Amino acid sequence: MQRDKFFKEINNLTHPNEKLIKTHCSYCGMQCGMNLRVNTATNKIIGVEPRYDWPVTVGKMCPKGVTAYQQTNHKDRLLKPLIRDDASLKGTKEGFREASWEEVYDLIAVKFQQLQAEYGKDSLSVFSGVSMTNEKCYLTGKFARVALGTRYIDYNGRFCMSSAAGGFLRSFGVDRGSTLPWTDIHETDCLFIAGSNTSECHPTSMFRVWSVQERGGYLIVADPRETPLARRADVHLDLKPGTDLALANGILHLLIEQGYADQAFIRQHTNGFEETKELVKAFTPDYTSELTGVSVEKIIRAAEIYGKAPNAIVMFARGIEQQHKGVDNVSAYVNLALVTGKIGRPKAGVATFTGQGNGQGGREHGQKADLLPGYRKITNPKHVEEVCEVWGITPEEMPQAGVSAYEMFELMEQKTIRGLYLLCSNPAVSAPHLNFVRRALKNLDFMVCADFYLSESAEFADVILPSVTWSEDEGTVTNLEGRIIKINKAQEPIGESKPDWQMQVELAERLGKGKYFSHLQTAKDVAEEFRRASKGGYADYYGATWDKIDKQDGVFWPCKDETDTGTPHMFLDKKFYHEDGRAKICALPYRPPAEEPDETYPLRLTTGRVVYHYLSGNQTRRIPFLHDMCPEPYVEVHPETASQYHIEHEERVRLFTRRGESVYRVKITEAIRKDTVFVPYHFGHEQSINLLTIDALDPISRMPEFKACAAQIEKLEQKKVQ
Amino acid sequence: MKKRLYLELENCIGCRSCLAACTQCGGHEERNRNYVYDVNPLVNRQTMPLMCLHCVNPACARSCPAQAIQVHETGAVLSALVEKCIGCQNCTVACPYGIPKFDTEQNLMYKCDLCIDRTKDGIPPMCASVCPSSTLQWLTDEEIDEKKKQYHLDNGKWVSSMPHLEGETNVKINLPGILQGVTKLF
Repeated sequence: MQRDKFFKEINNLTHPNEKLIKTHCSYCGMQCGMNLRVNTATNKIIGVEPRYDWPVTVGKMCPKGVTAYQQTNHKDRLLKPLIRDDASLKGTKEGFREASWEEVYDLIAVKFQQLQAEYGKDSLSVFSGVSMTNEKCYLTGKFARVALGTRYIDYNGRFCMSSAAGGFLRSFGVDRGSTLPWTDIHETDCLFIAGSNTSECHPTSMFRVWSVQERGGYLIVADPRETPLARRADVHLDLKPGTDLALANGILHLLIEQGYADQAFIRQHTNGFEETKELVKAFTPDYTSELTGVSVEKIIRAAEIYGKAPNAIVMFARGIEQQHKGVDNVSAYVNLALVTGKIGRPKAGVATFTGQGNGQGGREHGQKADLLPGYRKITNPKHVEEVCEVWGITPEEMPQAGVSAYEMFELMEQKTIRGLYLLCSNPAVSAPHLNFVRRALKNLDFMVCADFYLSESAEFADVILPSVTWSEDEGTVTNLEGRIIKINKAQEPIGESKPDWQMQVELAERLGKGKYFSHLQTAKDVAEEFRRASKGGYADYYGATWDKIDKQDGVFWPCKDETDTGTPHMFLDKKFYHEDGRAKICALPYRPPAEEPDETYPLRLTTGRVVYHYLSGNQTRRIPFLHDMCPEPYVEVHPETASQYHIEHEERVRLFTRRGESVYRVKITEAIRKDTVFVPYHFGHEQSINLLTIDALDPISRMPEFKACAAQIEKLEQKKVQ
Repeated sequence: MKKRLYLELENCIGCRSCLAACTQCGGHEERNRNYVYDVNPLVNRQTMPLMCLHCVNPACARSCPAQAIQVHETGAVLSALVEKCIGCQNCTVACPYGIPKFDTEQNLMYKCDLCIDRTKDGIPPMCASVCPSSTLQWLTDEEIDEKKKQYHLDNGKWVSSMPHLEGETNVKINLPGILQGVTKLF
């Protein structure tokens, strides 16, 4: 495997009575390499040691990674199955009693069968997540379709990666999050990073980002906030939240006008250029500036730098994707690379920063409402046949496509969906418009939640199944590069906890579907079936055996057979995955955010992460160091805006939208637009900013618009001093 | 080959991974011994770490009436010996950077020992191992000389430890402004 300039031969520190288990972090899509320190007398995980020889991150970790091991033997771990008999206590932590696995399996089987007998197969649903191995993601899809026989399965990637997936599919005909390996990043000449607070959300990319500038390369950042990344950018495009499409169209217009378009590449390898060229003509620097709030000079400078750069990489994240035009935003940024021909070779391409650990692999293998393993479509009869052969069912038995994550809550509200099996996700914090979502969860007749801590969503469950942390099971994960890597088991599951795949196999047996599941006795068994199920799909993992992953430091998909070493760079032959082999340059008319500021709600609210927390915070809020560093949410306000409202740093204020309200501590900073406020989303109950966010969905990806809605601030009544 | 801790302050992104990692070092009793500051929090997000610079002639050790602070053969200025420390806090006052911390319960000083159980064998300290932004690096003197050549101000001086610091240090620092001397590619 390639070793770049950051790689150094370093021995690990080893202690007596300890062994090191090499694995990866449990959190984001970087999947930083790490060694877990295991005490050989107690066989318990006791710490972390850098994994200097992992080529992507060479030992580096963010504070979440350094403390990730503290999850495993944490005092809050769920050690036994729990049942709550009193449904009136739903939405609270109260009323749970310990039960045996026998009792909970029996109860779930009876309840699920009753609901399906009375209301039909599709009265059940599965809501899943992608912070788990490919094997678990794969089996969850099979569990929903074969064991439960329901069409309603979807997952939290709808709040994370679905817009990137939709955009890549439309532009390239294939959805691999990065067209090149991360080890190319520091060697490019220009990084154009849009809607990514890389410094907090993917910190271990930063040594490569800074290295571009140290070599004399350029950094362009589009973000409403001056993040630590934007602070050092050569050009910071400080746009209004929700106006990314206008900015990308404006840059594209300048690239074409200034002669940076690669006509030969456009002619030979793309469709749609002329139409797009016409559409973006309207996006003059003046018009783009008017829509986005970014100065004309900055727009011109950014286009000039990107256009001139011999090699450049366009990168983006949830900032552009979590919008009701997220798919269009992605295609609009991909346009920059296609029109200038800066793609399909090393050091030039396009990448999204995958948010969840297995955000890439988890969306490819059948947890999405309309997808089957290997990125096959459930609406394509040939694809269905191929998967049926592996699963041993007939095409008639395969359920139809379901609906997206947020739309499942609408069906729960309407009582179309009456039962829920929730795993690996915490939508009571992470979904938008939470007043509605929490009501929908409460409205369920029967809810099962598998988790290793009692999450805010588990508070709505009738049955809680104790699952294991990432360190107590093994399997593969696909990182943000599209590299399939191996998670290794460092410790036996604590208490009576079990891996999700095992629960699903045992539950399938209770539901009379054992013949489709009983042969899966180990994670490796699931892996072998999963590789076969992906074979022939375009996300083909068949050749990515655990041995090969170990020998090669990971395998980039597609990897079709035993001799295939995988595909680190996509499109080197300039062949894209649409039928005619061409990529699509997309003409994308601008649409403003679904909810624009007005007199009553004059501010733009945007949300995001902090470096100390991951997703809904169910894991990281329990880790002492991370909690100490960021114990509660806050609202970032520009000092000029603060003075208009007569509010001060550290003061608590009421922040509200048409959907909800909450009280936050004010953090005054000049590093944000005057018309914009920001709140991190990792917090539960009344602190959740998603009480305020809008449920406007992208028409293609069904991604909610977390990144822009209209809000207002109100000063709290001062309590009189006694 | 001897390596040193090298700080490039301009790179800091404020993630405080160095503090989390410090707690993981075997001899550190899960307490971090360094600092990360918000330089101007109401204005921007610039941050910088403040690490022990392991002075060649350390004021902390000189000021210690109990001779509790030893200098290791590698140059690392160690944490006070528990059996000798009298809890007077002279070291904290004497240090030009306020590095030594004080445990009021145990009445003992504790400070960065450069992860001596690692660095004595040439393994980088935990903070530099994990630092995701290349703010903390573990470099040979040759590599540091290269940095000197690469980064210089308009006045020809390296933006570095001397003459800004109190005395010669084993840890080398590059103050904010490293990109000033960089020639753009195009």
